[in-house]
Amino acid sequence: MWQGRGKTAIAGIGYSEITRKPLKPLGLLAIDACRAALADAGLDAARIDGLATYPESPFAGAGNRDGEDVVSVNWIMNHLALAPDLRWYAQIETGMIASPIIEAINALLAGACDYVLVWRALHRPRPRATGGGAHSGPPRASGDAQFLAPYGASSIVQTHALAWQRYMHRYGATRDALAALALNSRRNANLNPRAFFFKEPMTRDDYFNSRWIAEPLCLFDCDVPVDGCVALIITTAQRARDLSRPPAYIAGCGQNTASRRTLLYYTLDDYMACGSSLANKLWRSAGLGPRDMDAAQLYDGFNPSTLYWLEAAGFCAEGEGAAFVRDGRIALEGELPVNTFGGSLSEGRMHGMGHIAEAVRQVTDRAGQRQIPGAAAVCAIDGSPMLRGSGLIVTRDP
Amino acid sequence: MSDTSKKPVPAADDLSRPFWTAAHDRRLVVQRCAACGYYNHPPRPFCDACLAQELPFEPVSGRGTVYSFTVMHQRDVAGFERDAPFINIVVELAEQPRLLMVSNLPIAERPKVTIGAPVEVYFEDRDDGISVPQFRII
Repeated sequence: MWQGRGKTAIAGIGYSEITRKPLKPLGLLAIDACRAALADAGLDAARIDGLATYPESPFAGAGNRDGEDVVSVNWIMNHLALAPDLRWYAQIETGMIASPIIEAINALLAGACDYVLVWRALHRPRPRATGGGAHSGPPRASGDAQFLAPYGASSIVQTHALAWQRYMHRYGATRDALAALALNSRRNANLNPRAFFFKEPMTRDDYFNSRWIAEPLCLFDCDVPVDGCVALIITTAQRARDLSRPPAYIAGCGQNTASRRTLLYYTLDDYMACGSSLANKLWRSAGLGPRDMDAAQLYDGFNPSTLYWLEAAGFCAEGEGAAFVRDGRIALEGELPVNTFGGSLSEGRMHGMGHIAEAVRQVTDRAGQRQIPGAAAVCAIDGSPMLRGSGLIVTRDP
Repeated sequence: MSDTSKKPVPAADDLSRPFWTAAHDRRLVVQRCAACGYYNHPPRPFCDACLAQELPFEPVSGRGTVYSFTVMHQRDVAGFERDAPFINIVVELAEQPRLLMVSNLPIAERPKVTIGAPVEVYFEDRDDGISVPQFRII
C-alpha cells in the first residue's frame, strides 16, 4: 500500500459558469473557479503556496494565447493575489487531469507547500486565421498529419469511431451499450443543476434518432463542448480538517504507463494494456479494488471510453462491458453507479475535473439529489485508455 | 470523391519525401529498420521498436485488410466539406500486424466494407503533381 494513503485531501471545489455562450474569456472563467474553490474551502488566496494545472488546448490549432486559449501557472500567478512566498508549482501534460493533482499530493507529502490550487480551464476553440500572408491552393499537411489529413481523417472523433467499430466487431457489442451509458448519464445530469443538460431529459428514441457524427458514433456519444473551469483545493489531511468542508481523503492514485504499440493513430488494441497499467497502480496504492467502490466516475469524452474503463479497471472482464451496463446496474440506485453527475456527455466537457469533483461530493455528502447514501470510496478515472489517463480514489475516512 | 482541389496535400519533408516520391511513381514503400526488421509508418528518424537510425524505405505488397472504418458526417473536415458523408478505412498491411495506413472509399462502397475485407493499393492524383496511395476492396 502507498505510504501517502489518506494523508492528503481535496478540501474545496469551485466551478465557473459552464457555458456555450461565454461572456468572458477563459482566464476570467478560471479566476471565477479558483475564487469559488477558495470560498468553498474557507481559505484566503494569500494562503495558497502551491499551483498546478494541466493547461493543454482541447485540440491542435486551437491557439495557445495565455488567458484566452489556455490558463497557465504563470497566468494565475499574475492574476490572483496568492501567498507572497508561493513555494511550488507544476504544469503537466502527461497523464491526464488527475496528474497535476498527483504532483500536488507529492509536493504536499514532501513538505514543499501547504495549500495547492489546481485548475483545469478549457474552451471551445473558434476557427482562427493562421496568418502567414496570401496563400493559394490546397492546405498543406505536415508531420504525421500528412498521412491523415489528405484523407480527411485527422479528427479525434474519427479515431474513437474507428476504435469502437473494432470493439463491436471483436466482442459482438451493439449501440445498445452506448445508449445505456448515454441515458444513464442524462438521467443523472437531470439531478445536477450545474449540468449543461440539467433540464433536458433524453429517451432511447432521442438517442437512436440523433444525427451521426462519425459512424458508429452519434451526437450523444460525444461530450458537450463548453467553456469553463473547475478548480480544487488540495492540502494535507491534517490541514483539511481545519477548513470549512469535510475533506475527501485521497486514498490512491495512478497514471497510464504502458507503451502504445500502434503508430499512425491510437487504436483499440492499446486500450487494455494502457488502461490496466493505470488501474493496477490505482487499486494497489489504495489497498482497495473495484468491488470496494460505491461509485465510479469514468471518463467519457467519447462515450465508448467509459466502457473501456469498466473493463480495464476490472469492474468487469474484457469484452463484457456491454453486458455490464445493462439492466440498471450502473444507475444511481444500481450495483455500481457510474458518472453520477452526468459525465462529460451531459454535464459538459471539463476533461475529467467534473468526474473528480463529483467523487469528492459523493464521499462528503454534497451530491444533493444524486447522493449515494454513505458513499465511502469513489474512484475518478480520466482519459481514454489507449490515449492516456490518470485517476484518483477518494474516501470518506482517512 | 468529387473535387480534389481543396483537399489537404502532404507537405513532404526530409523524412517523408521518399514515400511521396515513390507514390508519385505508383509504388508503395515503407521504412523498415535495418537492425531489427520492424516496419515504421509514418516515417521517423528512429525505429519505434529498437531506436536504430538506419531505416531504408522498402517496397511493400500494397495488400492488406480493413482494420477498421468510419463514416464521417461532419461537414467541417478541411477539404472534405462537400464530400460528407465519406468513408475512411484503416488498412492493416500484410507485412506486419498493426502496420496501418488510412484511405478513402467511395460512399457507394459502403455495403461492402467490413473489418477483415481484403484490399489493394492504387494511387490517386492530387494537385501539384502529388499522388496519394488509396486502397480498394478486392
